[in-house]
Amino acid sequence: MTAAAADRVEAALPPERRRPAEEYPVDGLIPRIAFRPRTADEVATLLHAADAADVVVVPLGARTALRLGRPLARYDVALDTTALNRVVAYEPEDLTVTVEAGITLKALQSVLGERGQYLPVDPPPDDRVTVGGLLATARPGAWRGHLPAARDLVLGATVATPQATLVHSGGRVVKNVSGYDMHRMHTGALGAFGVIVEASFKVAPLPAGRRTFVLECAHLEQASELAFALWDRALPLRGLALLSNAAAAAAGLPAAPHVLIEGVGRAAVLHRVADAVKTQAALLHAVRGVEPGDAPWTQLRTLAGPQTGCVVRLGVPASRVAAAVEAASEAGCVAWGYLASGSVLATAASLDTSTVERLRAHAVEAGGFLQIEAADASLRATADPFATPERDLVRALKAQFDPRGTINRGRWMEGV
Amino acid sequence: MRISSPLRRSAHRTPLVRALQGAVGAPNVVYLPEDLLAYEYDATIERHQPEAVVFPGGTEEVAACVRVAAEHGAPIVPRGSGTGLAGGAVPVRGGVVIVLTRMNRIIEIDPRDRVAVVEPGLINLTLQEACARYGLLYAPDPSSQRICTLGGNIASNSGGPHTLAHGSTVNHVLGVEVVLPDGRVTWFGGRQPDAPGVDLRGLFVGSEGTLGIVTRICVRLERAPEAVRTMLAVFESIDDASEAVSAIIRRGIIPVALEMLDQEIIRAVEPRLHVGYPMDAGAVLLIEVEGLREAVTEDEAAVIAVCRELHAREVRTAGTEEERARLWEGRKGGIGAIGAISPNFYILDGVVPRTRLPEVMRDIMRLSEAAGFRCANIFHAGDGNLHPNIMFDELEPGATERVLALGGQIMRVCVDAGGSITGEHGVGLEKRSYMEWIFGPADLDAMGRIRIAFGADERFNPCKMLPTGRGCGHAHASELLRHLQTPGVYV
Repeated sequence: MTAAAADRVEAALPPERRRPAEEYPVDGLIPRIAFRPRTADEVATLLHAADAADVVVVPLGARTALRLGRPLARYDVALDTTALNRVVAYEPEDLTVTVEAGITLKALQSVLGERGQYLPVDPPPDDRVTVGGLLATARPGAWRGHLPAARDLVLGATVATPQATLVHSGGRVVKNVSGYDMHRMHTGALGAFGVIVEASFKVAPLPAGRRTFVLECAHLEQASELAFALWDRALPLRGLALLSNAAAAAAGLPAAPHVLIEGVGRAAVLHRVADAVKTQAALLHAVRGVEPGDAPWTQLRTLAGPQTGCVVRLGVPASRVAAAVEAASEAGCVAWGYLASGSVLATAASLDTSTVERLRAHAVEAGGFLQIEAADASLRATADPFATPERDLVRALKAQFDPRGTINRGRWMEGV
Repeated sequence: MRISSPLRRSAHRTPLVRALQGAVGAPNVVYLPEDLLAYEYDATIERHQPEAVVFPGGTEEVAACVRVAAEHGAPIVPRGSGTGLAGGAVPVRGGVVIVLTRMNRIIEIDPRDRVAVVEPGLINLTLQEACARYGLLYAPDPSSQRICTLGGNIASNSGGPHTLAHGSTVNHVLGVEVVLPDGRVTWFGGRQPDAPGVDLRGLFVGSEGTLGIVTRICVRLERAPEAVRTMLAVFESIDDASEAVSAIIRRGIIPVALEMLDQEIIRAVEPRLHVGYPMDAGAVLLIEVEGLREAVTEDEAAVIAVCRELHAREVRTAGTEEERARLWEGRKGGIGAIGAISPNFYILDGVVPRTRLPEVMRDIMRLSEAAGFRCANIFHAGDGNLHPNIMFDELEPGATERVLALGGQIMRVCVDAGGSITGEHGVGLEKRSYMEWIFGPADLDAMGRIRIAFGADERFNPCKMLPTGRGCGHAHASELLRHLQTPGVYV
């Protein structure tokens, strides 16, 4: 970054928006400049100035997913979105909310909770994540498969572009098919095509009640059979997980294979779920533990988004979840999987490229995929974090929306 | 059956037709003017003759057709059953219509993993019936489900009565195989949700055939609920019924369906279908809840209580599966029933925030009255997704123009209430000019860039969705009138 370029970018926003650059390290790199804009227009202005000066901007929210994606090619300007934290519109009776992208999920849930509602997502590591980050990283949690994901709940979005424009798509109503759903294109895109500054969601009533059940099994295969038996009964579940010995221990349970089940609904419904769990446990000779409350779910969620170590996420068919958990355990990981979404998480203090590729081959053979969710830059440089099959179109889209690679350059692939 | 002379045939066998015959076999290419008639239009009134219609039998043949069209510079329009309500399948600039109805196989239903892989020409209801055998369901159920195809559902991101709880088509599609405008074949998404990378699947669903042609579809299936309760709540007025809709949601109950039929519709439906709607009711709500037996019992009691509080004259629960089917028959056959009481009608599709329903409905009725037309409403009240049906007689001079103008006014009311110009039918040809009411130049420019990125120039389903397109000019709904040739239903 030349001094002239730095001057141009520094002049883009008022000095009071500046932040100490050393507070925003990514992969050990420190940016030259850091800004914390207060409005969507300021974000667009900053992106445009950076684009004109040919410098690279990295948008940051709660900074809980900075080890996702390839190592950055360059890092000149940190764009902290957390001052964009307002609730723009909340219509409880329409089940819709529109918020700025820097608001945390915790703050949003608190506003919605006052009206008995919530945004039904549980991304890693916890509710500290910002709404912009939730969309840009699109990481599922335990509820996925039982409930919609963020990519399903988003009704519309506004995105700031390097061309200094604010681009809208979708709307604020719960059903809408006008134009291309560009907000879905930005979901999971890590800002490749613009920085999300505002989003609208469909929200849901908070469940009347919830109960978590644990079943200790002799082996993972038994756990899988048990989980399928419960899944097949059309019960109102919100979580259904298969845990390896190590994952159970990490979740505060005895170190044995487990099925972890969360039922949601009113008392009579939860009673039915409890009965079903009891019946299936007896049929398949599993041991029922005491109801642990939310703790195991919270711990698994935290474990999926650590600040150190490695996490990979495999997507496999439901019938292959147990085998994938087994394979990841054999590779030395703490592993668990969610039956309804086929999402298997595996964590370890460190993983080498060959192990990651072996697990990826396992997932691909089952018709699925592997994504590196968090790892040190060295692993992300040698093992492709995404292995996205469709690269040409992503490049073509990048060329249209961020031709100079101003935002998060290199996160996806060379130049993207 | 008309037999054409060999001479006539050869006169119409343009180089494009010959190349298409090479790609998919001569029996699968239609090119004589009389045979092309059926493919000039969809469920709207605009029509235009294509140069040829092809019926590919598989992905490779679709790709071959796309390449042939590209080599000849011919426009391409993908088509399923032709039930679209926005003109999305009308070949306004001629060219090749690619009809996917031969590709109608269920490749696989995996009941354990709850995934189905199908071809795009498969009829929605056929998939539903196949899933039901395993106690599973594919949730999106557009009212045209007996005839519409899954490929068409993907093109328009179709909804249906059960969208309220289950979401639109995009929420149920895991992956699509697509032939891109350059003939290349690729997959967006796959068999599992949340695949790494940019969500091209989510972008493609609802793109109205402008970015590529879907050739294979992987969808998520759900376990059918243990219990379902379908209720009919009878109200004196649309206002009361609208208030009840909001009050039910306010109670924290999200029914799987929450449908409203107004008096005009009831009076059209009941004498024909005898489904049990009271003829003197101001409006009825069809409310469906599902889940465990315990849950539906409680939800049913709560819904009945809310409706009574809001002056429902009567709330009735279907006691048997037959009764339930009858209540739904009135809903799904409602649009057809209008045809029996009016020579022509124009179906609109708009969305408003649910809480604005009462005032928007009043505005619609006032505008219709002022324009001198009867308007029948049958719609997804829970989603705020309106379907006003304006009844008219095209033989009355000027009536059609006035109906289309009224349609525009009603769309304007929806937009002004914070809503959208379409909830499930799509923009297509019909609503291109309304796009500027909800999107600014930067938004529309970005949408145009998506087309460029996909390599979809103006040949690929031309003149659809975006308000400008070279060679098409600014299409406005009133332009549709100029091509009016036959009497019928204006939908």
